[in-house]
Amino acid sequence: MDIGMKKNKGVIKLCVYTAIFLICLLSGFGGVLSNNLMRYLFKIFLYITLGEMWNLMSGFAGMTSLGQQAFIGLAGYSVAVMTTVYKLNFYFGIGVGAVVGVLGAALLAVLLLHIGGMYFSIATWVAAEALGTFFSGWKYVGQGAGMNITISPYPKMSELYILALILCAASLGVTYLLLRSDTGLGLTAMRDDISAAASLGVNIEKNKFIVYLTAAFFTSLAGAVFFINKGTIYPDSGFDISWTISMVFIVIIGGAGTMEGPVIGSVIYVLLYEYLAHFPGWSNIILGLISILVILFMPKGIAGFLRNFRK
Amino acid sequence: MKKVLSFENVCSGYGRIRILDNLSFDVEEGEVLGVIGPNGSGKTTMLNTLAGLLRPFSGRIIYGGRDISRLPPYSRCRIGIGRTFQIPRPFTGMTVLENVLAASVHGGGMSRKEAAFFAEECLETVGLGDRKNESAAALTLLDCKKLEVARALGTRPKLLLLDEAAAGLTEAEVGEVMELVARLKKQKLTVIWIEHVLEAMENSTDRLMCMAQGRNVICGLPREVTASEIVEEIYLGGRE
Repeated sequence: MDIGMKKNKGVIKLCVYTAIFLICLLSGFGGVLSNNLMRYLFKIFLYITLGEMWNLMSGFAGMTSLGQQAFIGLAGYSVAVMTTVYKLNFYFGIGVGAVVGVLGAALLAVLLLHIGGMYFSIATWVAAEALGTFFSGWKYVGQGAGMNITISPYPKMSELYILALILCAASLGVTYLLLRSDTGLGLTAMRDDISAAASLGVNIEKNKFIVYLTAAFFTSLAGAVFFINKGTIYPDSGFDISWTISMVFIVIIGGAGTMEGPVIGSVIYVLLYEYLAHFPGWSNIILGLISILVILFMPKGIAGFLRNFRK
Repeated sequence: MKKVLSFENVCSGYGRIRILDNLSFDVEEGEVLGVIGPNGSGKTTMLNTLAGLLRPFSGRIIYGGRDISRLPPYSRCRIGIGRTFQIPRPFTGMTVLENVLAASVHGGGMSRKEAAFFAEECLETVGLGDRKNESAAALTLLDCKKLEVARALGTRPKLLLLDEAAAGLTEAEVGEVMELVARLKKQKLTVIWIEHVLEAMENSTDRLMCMAQGRNVICGLPREVTASEIVEEIYLGGRE
């Protein structure tokens, strides 16, 4: 394809995405959307954020973390402490959540980033479980009973919706820019063949560190916003592995190693999850079955399938 | 001539399995050193240890006067050691040009603009210039091998490691690879070339080293080495 044509296509795409963002943003301000629809979209936006970050880690950098719930829990508790104990503005709480998440990630990175493959997955999971156990016994945060998140006045659904939308757009923007940068070129190389990338000068450890911290930052932000909407947090909800399982599901069915994959995956996940809530006990079985079918028949996810189809 | 690289009693391998057994040899600046040896003799292990994918258990690797035994692979690439893989490992999600671009930006430390220009040059050198915008997943075996070389060249190496660049190719294709190595030699590149195709080795290398059981059994002028009794016994003997 001609470079000029490629550029034009890029500009058109950018215009379309900006338009979608503005329409979503204005409809949030204008009170056009029902609370119920906003609740759906709120969830979709946050899951896109979570999915994009997990995809950046697993799909590109080869770090299949099973412990992303560590950052969600840390951020959720940060918001709870900042708002309920210190009576501070919840935006401040979200900020503190992100800082705590990133600092936690930096500490964990020292221990975990040398570990490869399956061992990394297990280690991240164990780290998150350990944090959960620690919070269960910590009196300051209410031990196993957890904390209520008291904010007055409590933010309206429209405010949270806009927050989630901005967060989602920011995570997509950052992912896009990161992948277009020199680091992104290295990440794409790592995605395709990590040993070859290392032998061609890609600093694997540095790239992993960048990705791990970026993912921790956005995952923490999304976790904080989630728990503000929920109004309560306890160790089993904050450090629940089902957070990461949902990210895995979103990336697998959407398509790992692509940017559009997690977007598609999140929409499907949220809609399915809400619908399947009517069939308690069956929902996980059905979600699992769908994952297996997608892995068998569309190993590159829906995004990969659509790409091949277009070709 | 100046020594570029020395292996000093290097032992290396996978896990606890020792493959290289006190391997020692030198490479001089601007020469093409061919490495032959039967399967399992440790040729690729030597290359992986040199490129940093494996850490030596003991011994030293001296490159440019400096002990590089503990350096990670990306640092070794950035100080001038470029390598190809025996089984090509193209980045299949990228175009041919992007494959080399990644190498030039990261391994060569170039800006994007400079890298784009240089990457095209590398592709021209190996004869892939006209395929630069194709997906790397669509290349034939010969083209994949050429891309391996182009990517390694993209890192602007001083020492190039070729791991069976001619294996699995037809006679005409082997000829193309030999021409390519001759061109690289003219560019004053130092090359270590592992190969099973003996004819290519005899005609294209300055010196030949034969490895067996992780050791340097004999090293010298190509024809002397291939004619030696010991090589005939451990390497050619199996073919007759």
